Parts: sequence; structure tokens; C-alpha cells
Amino acid sequence: MIIAIPQECQQGECRVAATPLSLSKLLKLGYQVHVESNAGQYSSLTNQSYSQAGAVVEVDADQLWRTADVVLKLQPPTLMEIERMKTGALVISFLWPASNIPLMEAAAGRGVSLLAMDRIPRISRAQKMDALSSMANIAGYRAVIEAAGAFGSFFTGQITAAGKVPPAKVLVIGAGVAGLSAIGAARGLGAIVRAFDTRPTVKDQVKSMGAEFLEVQLEESGEGVGGYAKEMSPQYIRAEMELFAQQAREVDIIITTALIPGKPAPKLITVEMVRSMKAGSVIVDLAAEQGGNCELTRAGEKYRTDNQVDIIGFVDFPSRLPTQASNLYGNNIANLLSDMTPAADGNLVIDLNDQVIRQALVVHEGRVHWPPPPLENPIPKPTESPIQVGGRLKSPDGSLEKTWRSPWLWLGLGFVGALLLIGVVLEAPPGFVQRLTVFSLACLVGYQLIWSVTPALHTPLMSVTNAISGIILIGGILQMSGAWYQPAVLLSAVAVLIATINVVGGFLVTHRMLQMFRK
Amino acid sequence: MQNLVLLAWLFSGLFFIISLGGLSQHESSRRGNLFGLLGMALAIAAAILTIFGSNSGTGATEALDPNSLTATSSDGLNLGTAVVLLGALVVGGLIGTLLAVRVEMTAMPELVAILHSFVGLAAVLVGVSHYLGHPPTATETGTGAMHLGETVVGVFIGGVTFTGSVIAWGKLSGRVSSKPLLIKGRHYVNLGILLACLVFAAGFLVTKSTAIGVCWLAVITLLSFVLGAHLVMAIGGADMPVVVSMLNSYSGWAAAATGFMLKIDLLIVTGALVGSSGAILSFIMCRAMNRSFWSVILGGFGGEVAAVTSGGPPRKHDTTSSLETARWLLESSEVIIVPGYGMAVAQAQHPVWEICKILQQRNVKARFAIHPVAGRLPGHMNVLLAEAHVPYDLVLEMDEINEDFPHTGVVLIIGANDIVNPGAQDDPTSPIYGMPVLEAWKAEHVVVLKRSMATGYSGVDNPLFYLENTSMLFGDAKSSIDRVLQELKSLAGVSR
Repeated sequence: MIIAIPQECQQGECRVAATPLSLSKLLKLGYQVHVESNAGQYSSLTNQSYSQAGAVVEVDADQLWRTADVVLKLQPPTLMEIERMKTGALVISFLWPASNIPLMEAAAGRGVSLLAMDRIPRISRAQKMDALSSMANIAGYRAVIEAAGAFGSFFTGQITAAGKVPPAKVLVIGAGVAGLSAIGAARGLGAIVRAFDTRPTVKDQVKSMGAEFLEVQLEESGEGVGGYAKEMSPQYIRAEMELFAQQAREVDIIITTALIPGKPAPKLITVEMVRSMKAGSVIVDLAAEQGGNCELTRAGEKYRTDNQVDIIGFVDFPSRLPTQASNLYGNNIANLLSDMTPAADGNLVIDLNDQVIRQALVVHEGRVHWPPPPLENPIPKPTESPIQVGGRLKSPDGSLEKTWRSPWLWLGLGFVGALLLIGVVLEAPPGFVQRLTVFSLACLVGYQLIWSVTPALHTPLMSVTNAISGIILIGGILQMSGAWYQPAVLLSAVAVLIATINVVGGFLVTHRMLQMFRK
Repeated sequence: MQNLVLLAWLFSGLFFIISLGGLSQHESSRRGNLFGLLGMALAIAAAILTIFGSNSGTGATEALDPNSLTATSSDGLNLGTAVVLLGALVVGGLIGTLLAVRVEMTAMPELVAILHSFVGLAAVLVGVSHYLGHPPTATETGTGAMHLGETVVGVFIGGVTFTGSVIAWGKLSGRVSSKPLLIKGRHYVNLGILLACLVFAAGFLVTKSTAIGVCWLAVITLLSFVLGAHLVMAIGGADMPVVVSMLNSYSGWAAAATGFMLKIDLLIVTGALVGSSGAILSFIMCRAMNRSFWSVILGGFGGEVAAVTSGGPPRKHDTTSSLETARWLLESSEVIIVPGYGMAVAQAQHPVWEICKILQQRNVKARFAIHPVAGRLPGHMNVLLAEAHVPYDLVLEMDEINEDFPHTGVVLIIGANDIVNPGAQDDPTSPIYGMPVLEAWKAEHVVVLKRSMATGYSGVDNPLFYLENTSMLFGDAKSSIDRVLQELKSLAGVSR
């Protein structure tokens, strides 16, 4: 079968759907690959590099479209392009089915199948073909680069001979793939990064990237289906907006990435917030295409407000890093095709029982399959961190725990304990307090020691402690003064005997075990 | 002389501390064990020296303690006693050696449990013997009562440790049913025994007659035996790691109490070390099961919940063959093996390592994931894998490996159940909700080796088995693993 990679016809699209690298994977799967001349020119990929990788470079675009069995693209095909294709051919591209219904109907009428890369479900098996994540990653990185380009100062703090430079403060809203990527890039440039997300599960990811996780004082999880965010309650949104308003006055750069599937982007940065920002601040709105997270965003534009705040609302961030974007997208598609070519013989197998294909193949055999049946969530996501909620252990029945946690109970117990201790000490023989001191110190030493023991050695630890608790045989030995037939001596002898079993057995078996541990 | 002995014991105590410190890393662990042995030898030698030294007429403990309470009728060490002592040491040493050399690594929990019981029994015997050797005299009041109090505490803890450990040993070795024995009102029974002990202890403290005192002490001992047995009977098999570490702790406290009684600091120090060690281990185990210490100790887990979850229609699960499993293993780049008690029971650790070696030759990264409560003893799985010569840097703790599951091709679960239950994270109605678990379900394929679809020790159904990416490989863990190994060998051989 022939796979064709045409030049993208949309203005400003610099990416290409296959690189020499991903192309070689397609060749290995048994396909022939035809590349339109100059398809990769904006991604710094020459015709020569494609032909060296084993592709046929086709100058005649019409010929390319007519002979192709599978066409790989980034942007959705145009009606004209579909007209050129042969019946039964397949186009793999971003499609945005919700806004391209006429196109899908046209394709169905021509018998052309469409596979939407943006409809690949977010399940773990399909991660390697998740082009949305690849592109979001690039967009997050590029957003920081754009912001840095517009920002008039360093990102990193410096102390120079000419004076001190404070580090830039960056607020990232939405810690999805793009948000996390933006956090990483901004941290890499040396900025102080704060991030906000409605889903508490991402807190650890945010922290692992080196950013501070901002939270509102309301407990509500924003986790929706498939790891995306959902819409929040009005109280939550109010609290959230207060937080943003306060942050807007402080930070230099705001990068917003908040999207809710199937809904216009939530308006998070209001006109007032933009007004309150310092002159020279930058807002990068990655949700511009879906209406923008900032009320003042103009999709596709970069402009400066009256109070000298730059608002960047580009809609083509991935395309602004074309070589990298083409590379990742090409790999995503190669992975998809590798799954769809189980025999690696150059024959495409369309398995509608495959959940990924079922979701993404929106037009097939003359019929529009969109919207597909809802994807059931196969992997139950943890709704919230079950171990610690607000610093308290959470358990299904909290009543008993609550009693245990009451400070009054402990205070009372402590008081009674102190009284008892004082009573005992007053009555005790002279050496007692001294022994109590030794005992308490030994307990503390033990506490420190044992926590440092590696869990893998817990069994040897038990057998060693077992052996040394056989020290009790000292007690037995010391009792053995006097004639052997006295009951006290005989009892002690038995004690010594069994304690010796313990000592010898414990040390030997520990030795045996430790012999076995090796690298 | 006396100072010399005390100095020797000081060093014993230091060596014990160094010994436990050595266990913090694999590299220093053997040296640690050696130090422990050294400390013990020194302590015993010094003790023997003491009774020889006291030959001149004074009793042994008096020689050490100027504040000694009572004058004894002892006439020092005589030949007969020396022979008895030597005999006890030699016979005990022989039995210990036999036990240690013979024990299977899978039977470690039983051995540890029974050794705990010895410490408990020894504490009881030393306590009683001390009382017999140093009966209270009529002239004493307050300080004498204090001393007797220490004796009672030592005997009581020793008694509970003794029978508790014996029952734990029985449960671990299958001689006693591992199901929890739940008597109605068992908490009241325990409380009653405790109160009765207090009453008898009061009687023991006030009586001036040795005969009556011995009676009271015997009754307290018996009651503590009953209490220990009853406490452990009520605890189910899956909670045994906690019980064993708790008994470990008790044996330490028993030794410390004996140290108070005999006024020997070395015993106090060692007892405190062992006691805190066991307590921390219990705490770690409880945390790993997300259960409070009390709920484990007071028992009753497992039996009650089984009925709740058994309802509902049966759900579908996939089965697989050993051939398919072998293929999956070879095709993936990363494999994680999650062993559980089932692997220990079936003794499957050796063929499992064989599988790993084949995978390694084929450049498949194979590692082990150990949950803190896998098996019946803290660190049990690590010992078993070490026995099979698995290098310890391939054996990872839960926290180290949990984030690696999403990019793992195959997870092989061998005889483990609750520790990989996704319900612990997402089903608030699950009895084990909140327990930290290994996130095996995030891998591409999960293969579960299991006898049948029966529930785990906690009696909780495991949603993992019904997931799309999970396949069951039924059968005895050992034979299943052997078959997978065979297939793997032939597959690897063919494609080579």
C-alpha cells in the first residue's frame, strides 16, 4: 500500500506529518511512502533527506493524492483534497469532528475514510499515539519561549555588579500536559513558578516539576472522565477567581492552559485582573482557539493592552516549533500504523473492535461514525489521594479515630500518667530512677536505629533482635547460685537453656539469611 | 571485679547498638550480625564470671548491686550447679543450631514466632526463679513492693509473649486454623483477665508468705498465658506480620522488665532496643495496611467482611495460557514481578528467578516489587528472593517502583491479592480502602497467577481480576511458573 505525505496547504502550517525518521518505520511495516516535493521545507527537512530515507519524492501533487491508499496530514483535508482521492482511501490527520461535519459527510459520500488523531482516546495503551499530548507538550514549551521573548527582563534572578535582578514570577493555570511542560520550561529558565489546577491529583506532578502548587480553601475534586478536568461549582470558581486576582497583582507572566472538553474555554483572567497587572507583564493564552482563558485574548494575535501588558493568543504554538512537532507527530502516527499493521506486510487492518480505532475512525465505508459510543473508563483513577486529606488519616469509619484524636483524651491520659509516675518514683527504691533513665534513653536510641533499617532487611532485623533478646539468659545465669537441686536454680537452668536456643538459633539463622543477600 | 563485669556489659550494649545500626544497609549487615554475636558472647562470659566471682560467699546479684534488697541463703556456685549451667548452655546451643540450619526460608515466620515464645518463657522462669531465690522478708515495705511489682510485670509480659507466640507459630505453620477465632464479648474477656491480674498482683505485693506469693504468681502466670493465647487466636492470617512484630516487641519489653527486676542495665538497654524495634515494625506494617494498631491487635479482621462482598453477579475475567504469558514477557521491554504469600507457599522463588534470567538475556528489564506486608513477616519476600539468589538491587520497595507501572509491559502477580487491589484506591466501600497498594493495573498486561477466583486473606474481592488488561493463569504457583519457564525456554531457544 502507498502512504502519501502531502505538503500542508493551510497558511502558516509549518509542520509535516512524517519525517525521515518516522518514515523509515513506515517502510519497515512494508509500506511504500510517497512524499510531496518540499513537504518538509518549513520543518527544515529537505527532499534529499526524505529520498535518502527511502521515500519517493513526488513533484505532482495531483498524482500523489490520486495514488495514495493512506494520506498522513496534520490539518484536516480540504474538500478539494478529498475530491482527488480514490475510493476506500484513508486520511489520518487532526480533524476536530465537532466543527467539521460537512467535511465528514463529503468524505463519506466519496467513500474516503477519515481517522482523527485528536479522537485517539487517552488510555494507557494509546499513549504512544496521543498526538494531542505531543502537541500540548510543545505548546507549553513554546508558550514560555514566547513569553520570554515578550518579557523585558531576565527569567532567572541574578546578582550582578550593576545590581540585583529579581527572578520572574510565572503563574501557570492548568497543569495538564501543556501546563506541566510550561512549568518545566519556565523553571529551566530560572523563574519562580506557581501552578494551579482544579484536580488535586496533579499536585505531586506539579511539585515534581519544581513549581509551587496553589490551592483554594475548598475541597472539591475537578477530576472528570479520562483524566480531563470538569466544570466546578460556583463557590469553587469564586474562590479560584479570588486567588487569580491576588496572583495577577504579583506575577510577571501568566500562562493559561485551562480547557474543558467540549466546552468553550473557561474565562479565568478578567479585564480587571489584566488591569491590575504590572506594566510589562505577559499573558500567554494557550486556550485562545477555544475562546481564550483571558477575557482580552484575541485569537491568533499578539498585542499590547493600554496598561502595557502583552497578551499572546497564538493558535499555532506547535507549528512554531515545526521540526520538533513534525518529529513527535510523525512518531505518533508511525506508532498508530504499527498497531494497525499487525503482520508488518504493508496491509492496513482496520479492526473496529479495537477501542482506539473505534473512537478515532470517524468516517468509514461511506458512513459517519461520529460521535462514537462513549468510552468507558477502563482504568479507575484514584479520585483523591486516599491516604492524607488535609493532614488527617481518612478511614471509612471515622468515629473511633475521632475519639482517639481528641486532644483532651491525650491530655487527660498524660496527666494521669504523670501522676502515676510521680507516685511510683516517690515510693521507688534508690536505683529505680536511674534505671528508668537508662531505659528511656535506650528506647530513643532504638527508635532512631530501627527507622534507618532498610525494609528489605526487616526479617534479618527480627531474627537479630530475637537473638539479642535472648540476653535474658544473663538473668538466668545470675540466679544460678546455690546448690543445683534448688527449684530456683533448676528453673533458671531451663530459662538459660531456652534462651540459649534463642541466641544461637537467632544469630545463626540471621547469618544464613544475610549470606544469601547479594548484589 | 564488679566494675569489670559492668564494663563488659557496657560493651555488650554498645555492640548490640552497632549491630542494629549495621542492618541499615546490605553492605554492613553481616558485620552487624557479627557484632551482635560478639556482644552476646561478652555478656555471657561476664555473667559466668560473676557467679564464679561470687563463690566467696555472697550471692551473685549482691555482688553487683550495693542496694541489694535481700540477703540470700546462697552459698555461691558449686560444682553441680556449674554442670547444670554448662549443660543448659550446650544443649540450648545445639538445639538452636539445629533449628537455624534446618529451617526452610519459607518457614522463617514460624521460626521467628517460636523463638519469641522462648524469650517469653525464659522471662517467666527467670521471674519466678528470682522470686524463689529472693523471697521478700517481713521487715520490708515500700521498696520491696516496688521490686515485687517489677517481677510481676516481667512475668506477665513474658507469659503473654510465650503463649501468644506459640499460637502465632501454630497459625503460621498451619497447625492452628488461621481464621480468627471470635468469641462473643472477647474484649470483655481480655479486660476481665487484665483486671483479675491486677487484683492478684495486689495480693502478691502485700503477702508476706512466700508460699502464698508463689500461688498468686502462678495464677498470674496462668492468666497471662490465657490472655496471650486468646489475643492471638482472634487475629487472622493476613495480619500475622503485625502480630509477629508485636510479639517481637513484647519479648523485648519482657527482657527490659526482667532487667528492672534484676537491676541489670544491659537487660534494660537490650530489651528497650528490641522492644522499640518490634513496635516500629508493627507500626510500619499497620501503616502499610492503612489500619490502626488497635484494630489489628484486637483482632477480628477478615471473617466479618467476607459476607458483605460476596454478593452481586459474577463478573467476567480473562484467562490465559502459559505460552501466551511467555510471549508477552518476551515482547515487553519491562517486566515487574509482584510476589505474595502464594509464592512462598508454593516455593516458586527459584523458577521465578530463572524466568528473570532468561528475560535479562533477552534484554527485558525484569524487577521485583515488594509490598511492605507481602508474606507473613516484615521483609519475608526479600529473604525468599535472596535465597533464590536474586540480586537485591532488582528488588524494589513499593514507593520506589509504583511510578514505573505505567510503562511496564507485563506485571506478573504471583500469589498476591490484596496488595494489588485497585479498590483500595477508588472504592470507599472496600474494607481495605486507603491501604497503599502496588498499582499493577497501570501496566499494559497484568498476569495473575492464582489457584482460583477465591478472595484474599482479607476476604475482599479484587476488581483487578476483571480489568480488560488482566489475565488469570490458574493453577498452583509453582507448576504455573514452571510451565511458563518451559515455554520461555523453548521460545527463546527457537528465536535465537
